[in-house]
Amino acid sequence: MTVTKISLSGLSGLRELPPLSLYIHFPWCVRKCPYCDFNSHEVKNGFDEDAYVAALLADLESALPAVWGRPVHTIFMGGGTPSLFSARAMDTLLAGIRARVRLYPDAEITMEANPGTFESDKFKGFREAGINRLSIGIQSFDPAHLKALGRIHHGDDARRAVDIALTHFDNVNLDLMYALPGQTLEQALTDMGTALSFGVTHVSAYHLTIEPNTLFARYLPPKLPDDELSADMQEALEARLTEAGFGHYETSAFARPGRECRHNLNYWQFGDYLGIGAGAHAKISAHDGIVREMRYKQPAAYLKAVAEGRPTQSRERIARADRPFEFMMNLLRLTDGFELRLFAERTGLPLTHIQRELAEAEAQGLIERDLTTLKPTLKGQRFLNDLLTLFLKEGE
Amino acid sequence: MKHIRNFSIIAHIDHGKSTLADRFIQFCGGLEMREMSAQVLDSMDIEKERGITIKAQTAALQYKARDGQVYNLNLIDTPGHVDFSYEVSRSLSACEGALLVVDASQGVEAQTVANCYTAIELGVEVVPVLNKIDLPAAEPERVSQEIEDIIGIEAIDAVRASAKSGIGIEDILETVISKIPPPEGNPDGPLKALIIDSWFDNYVGVVMLVRVIDGSLKPKDKIKFMATGAEHLCEQVGVFTPKSVQRPSLSAGEVGFVIAGIKELKSAKVGDTITLVNNPASEALPGFKEVQSQVFAGLYPVESHDYDSLRDALEKLQLNDASLKFEPEVSQALGFGFRCGFLGLLHLEIVQERLEREFDMDLITTAPTVVYEVLMKDGTVIEVENPSKLPDLSKIDEIREPIITSTILVPQDYVGAVMTLCNQKRGVQRNMQYMGRQVMLTYELPMNEVVMDFFDKLKSTSRGYASLDYEFKEFQAADLVKLDILVNSEKVDALSLIVHRATSQYRGRELASKMRELIPRQMFDIAVQAAIGSHIIARETIKALRKNVLAKCYGGDITRKKKLLEKQKAGKKRMKQVGNVEIPQEAFLAILQVGDK
Repeated sequence: MTVTKISLSGLSGLRELPPLSLYIHFPWCVRKCPYCDFNSHEVKNGFDEDAYVAALLADLESALPAVWGRPVHTIFMGGGTPSLFSARAMDTLLAGIRARVRLYPDAEITMEANPGTFESDKFKGFREAGINRLSIGIQSFDPAHLKALGRIHHGDDARRAVDIALTHFDNVNLDLMYALPGQTLEQALTDMGTALSFGVTHVSAYHLTIEPNTLFARYLPPKLPDDELSADMQEALEARLTEAGFGHYETSAFARPGRECRHNLNYWQFGDYLGIGAGAHAKISAHDGIVREMRYKQPAAYLKAVAEGRPTQSRERIARADRPFEFMMNLLRLTDGFELRLFAERTGLPLTHIQRELAEAEAQGLIERDLTTLKPTLKGQRFLNDLLTLFLKEGE
Repeated sequence: MKHIRNFSIIAHIDHGKSTLADRFIQFCGGLEMREMSAQVLDSMDIEKERGITIKAQTAALQYKARDGQVYNLNLIDTPGHVDFSYEVSRSLSACEGALLVVDASQGVEAQTVANCYTAIELGVEVVPVLNKIDLPAAEPERVSQEIEDIIGIEAIDAVRASAKSGIGIEDILETVISKIPPPEGNPDGPLKALIIDSWFDNYVGVVMLVRVIDGSLKPKDKIKFMATGAEHLCEQVGVFTPKSVQRPSLSAGEVGFVIAGIKELKSAKVGDTITLVNNPASEALPGFKEVQSQVFAGLYPVESHDYDSLRDALEKLQLNDASLKFEPEVSQALGFGFRCGFLGLLHLEIVQERLEREFDMDLITTAPTVVYEVLMKDGTVIEVENPSKLPDLSKIDEIREPIITSTILVPQDYVGAVMTLCNQKRGVQRNMQYMGRQVMLTYELPMNEVVMDFFDKLKSTSRGYASLDYEFKEFQAADLVKLDILVNSEKVDALSLIVHRATSQYRGRELASKMRELIPRQMFDIAVQAAIGSHIIARETIKALRKNVLAKCYGGDITRKKKLLEKQKAGKKRMKQVGNVEIPQEAFLAILQVGDK
């Protein structure tokens, strides 16, 4: 990836700006899943997709001054369920984006899709609109586990969705969850075997976690696998993926060589991203600092705010003292870690700033480094939380 | 002086003492109605209002009696818990009488009995009052009988009252006037004033609560403390109504406060006698016994750099609580801290809570222990108040533990259970008396068993009905051993305990297993062992965690994940690093959660 070189000498301490991505949030789902803590809302009475697309473009336009002249490397359309939108709407949206920002011709453009929204023609249309990567929320192929997760689709829907996806797309990710209520080690491996049988390029394997403010947090599902079993599952799934030729490049992400998700990599490398759409988050570096933004979360509130020309609900500068932690929180998720120079490049702070923490992490056997790179050890990957808390600044 | 009555109220917790005091104040117009809030003497409102801390709470009341005369009633409130019984005796020595307030449905409790006996020993007239008479469960006849049986004072015509509903308040005040004698003393003699209590106030320095026995005292008098010989200029005298009100003087028979610009609490020792420099009394009043610490525990800051703040906080607490003792102590496991002496477990809990709440200290408290007398082979006797400081066994001839005489009052239904409990705790029964519905048990118990969890157990085996009072009896030789806990082969000194040999094996096993529950799994296996000397008696393993990682981390919204990690870090901060193992605060008190065989 190329980096825009701009001479900067402001408060941020940054000498150059990182690559820029664009995240677009689609806040609607057919039904809210009991484990989901993302900004998603049940469709109920339908929604006006043209109005939403128009709002997204207006939102983007209002955000342009903050990223003036910077090219966009990747786009990610997440949700919610973006695949609830029509191919025509996506086409309008992407054409509108191309007209407003410089989008690289080979830019990775991912859309999240959920089984149950799959029709062959529609997906053909998505591909024609310029979307070149799909991320499908399969979670499981096992009917009992899908039911326990409150998913709207069945095992057959899941298989059909993957077939349709692969008919039109050559770059497809499947999201799978393990440590599901009542799941055995064998069942977790069977799910993975099924996923791999289609010939997808990317798999994300997530440990089901109970997030606060979800239905599961209020009514804990029964028979959740214990720590031992879920750790066994994780190890077995990792082995299975490695055997199938997938590289384990991030905590939960696995890809065939060259098929790593470029958009997510930009997050994990502490790159910049614009975020448009209800509840979308952004991180933008500039001469005067690094800023995080969030758009209004409720779709109605968001639409109203865009119409009034002020879609941003909150905006805060990342304090210099917080930058090392935020950098590490992302970069240490990567199996290969990072080149040491990247720390100063992305945080504007010298690496000596975290010398003490690095020494401690090394003493605990959580990281290893040579003259140019730093990466988590296997122990560091397994105990990433312990590793990251070393970088949290005192007094919090 | 004929029109002065000094009295206090003796009552068990919840028997309505504070409400009754409120009623007296209200009845005598000590406070305007709008100033009355529930339990005036207990609340801190007065402190806020006047900037004066009131500990032994008092109220000087003006009561116009049925005989048409106005009496000055001095009510001296007393704490109700066994830990503070010394304060009770101090308050009582300023009085000629005491109201014994008994809940007409619950009957007499052990603490009340003990305080009553103290009053009788001090020659104080005890006047019984039956409170909560309007409750459906009230049994005034039975409870009157119980008072006669247990305490041995006439109670058949005890005043029947309800402080809550305001029944019988005037009757009580009339009884105070008729039954309690006025103070005696010579108003014209040389000044003799007994310091009943003293406390430190941020604005005026030390405030002394005194009872004038002979003579009188006014501002500008040069006063002298007879024990220390120190001389000061009296600045203010006055009474609490319960608001503090300045008076031109205090004279024989009166109770009030004295302020003399004293900066240090130890200069105004409780029990000392104040006299005048130019007309001194020939001899001092008897005074009080020095208070002895009964229970000891180590207090350590979780963050070692808070050591100085902890010392400051303890010093500040000591300003108003002379019974709190502390001295610096070093633990290999916990670093720098303090070994503190307390009057009892409740006192420990109060101090701990005040340190945490008022001073925002994050503390580790070690298991409470008693003081042991150790007779060394060379004939010397040393006192050990920290189990880890017990000398090598080969140099010890015998270890003696403190024994207390405890009085337990319990309804008949629970006698069996309570006796079983006392036996488990190595108690020796000395007496058992049936008194109406209740039974009074007298047991000699090793104090170290009592400081662990005896009180809680007693309450749970008797459904809260049993009450306990105790006093120190003597040191007795016993077969005691030191139980050590090792974490990853490292002895953790702060976890050492002195226990009886008979229960040592069991305690060791249980403690090790409790530690396994309390110490969270970490990145490596942790071995917890219990040992007596070099002999390992129990071992538990805390298996290593397999992973600790957040599966999802959307680059977009990192705030929630960050909060989660901050929470994990905050959790770790509350733990103490011993070697490479993080031990949570509560593990240092694990022994309190170990049951009996």
